Amino acid sequence: MSIKPYIFRIASLILCVSLGLMLFRGIAALPVTEKVTGPASHYLARTAGETGARNVVGAILFDYRAFDTLGESTVIFTAVCGIAMLFSRRKFHRSSRGLSFIAKRGIGIMVPFLLMYASVIILFGHLSPGGGFQGGTIFATVTVLLCVVFGSSFESQYFPPRTKDILESGGALLFSGIGLIGLAAGTGFLSNIAAGFPAGIFGSFLSAGSVPILNVAVGMKVGAGLSTIFYSMIKMLDAGHDHREGGGIE
Amino acid sequence: MSLSFMIFLYVFLIATALVISAINDILSAVITLSVFGILLATAFAILQAPDVALTQAVINSGIVTALFLVAFSQTEKPECYSEEEEE
Amino acid sequence: MILLSYATAVIIFCIGLYTIMIRRNLFKTVLGLALMESAVLLIIVSSGYIPGGVPPIAPFSGPAVNPLPHAFTLTAIVIGASDIALALAFIVKLHRHYRTVDLDRIRGLRG
Repeated sequence: MSIKPYIFRIASLILCVSLGLMLFRGIAALPVTEKVTGPASHYLARTAGETGARNVVGAILFDYRAFDTLGESTVIFTAVCGIAMLFSRRKFHRSSRGLSFIAKRGIGIMVPFLLMYASVIILFGHLSPGGGFQGGTIFATVTVLLCVVFGSSFESQYFPPRTKDILESGGALLFSGIGLIGLAAGTGFLSNIAAGFPAGIFGSFLSAGSVPILNVAVGMKVGAGLSTIFYSMIKMLDAGHDHREGGGIE
Repeated sequence: MSLSFMIFLYVFLIATALVISAINDILSAVITLSVFGILLATAFAILQAPDVALTQAVINSGIVTALFLVAFSQTEKPECYSEEEEE
Repeated sequence: MILLSYATAVIIFCIGLYTIMIRRNLFKTVLGLALMESAVLLIIVSSGYIPGGVPPIAPFSGPAVNPLPHAFTLTAIVIGASDIALALAFIVKLHRHYRTVDLDRIRGLRG
């Protein structure tokens, strides 16, 4: 009776240790290279000429493999739809109060700088490390901060859920629209320089064709999506302790 | 970066993972997950991957921790726990 | 140095797997999932490392590291965050239905 959990624990421990040993033997057998070979060497050598972007990882994500980024945006969209559907029937009963006066004044001074930081990371994604995903997540974090410090009614008044829906769908439509421009120009879906987007001067702000526009689209989508996830989970915060309406099957 | 610093960082990473697995209080485990994320972002930066380090730091310590805390606050034990089956 | 990163990542993966198998609390399951995903990301990023390399931002001041693992690690991080969010939403719904997050009790109530 009391020995069965221990047998299970020891068996799991032996399983995990042996799995770890086998995994390490397999992974350590990968060849260690001194030089980059294959498609990666092509990307490293040709990115500056073919796309005009300085950030090679951003060029891979938004020019060479932009279709995979469209698929990943679809994954985020599916997760947001699933969570919003799980928590769909409730509304706020009352809002949270927020923190003290000092916190509100202090955060109120800091929030414009946070928004500017997020915008810089999105807009300069083709010149320095950054891009749409990082900046969009920082936007979502700013809305989480506003919700915690000022109360959830303040946040839903300034960023209503309808606006977030429009932003998220607008980001997806912008991404697909840029792709369709490439298709209409005759060169292929989501093509960059070949479809006529200006390459610009290497290293300046207005360069790299459609990569900044795609960064903005992905930033809108990711930011609005993650913010909607947080808002869906928090809007039941004060309605959940009522057992009469919380116990039924949805 | 020197090898001894990498060894120290990785030992700290494994110790943090052990704390997350072994501790019984969920709140402490979530805060330790946030620390784990920042250490992993440092390891990514030392492996010369600035994009990945930035993404890992922001997403793990920003969004995932916030969602964990929201979910944890919504699953507090109710005062009156009744034994009847629910249909 | 790369072998050291591989060893650390495999150890963290096994710790995460052990957490998922042993713990009864559903939150611990999601924490183990997060650990396993982070370990896999470390394996991917350290497989592209060139000793003495520089970050892949043009113009390069030396041999640049492999940029392809960075691109799909970015995708993997965001998708991992999305599925952790969905798992947490399921935990909240389960708690609303069964009033506990203890896996043994939930299984006992059903069967």
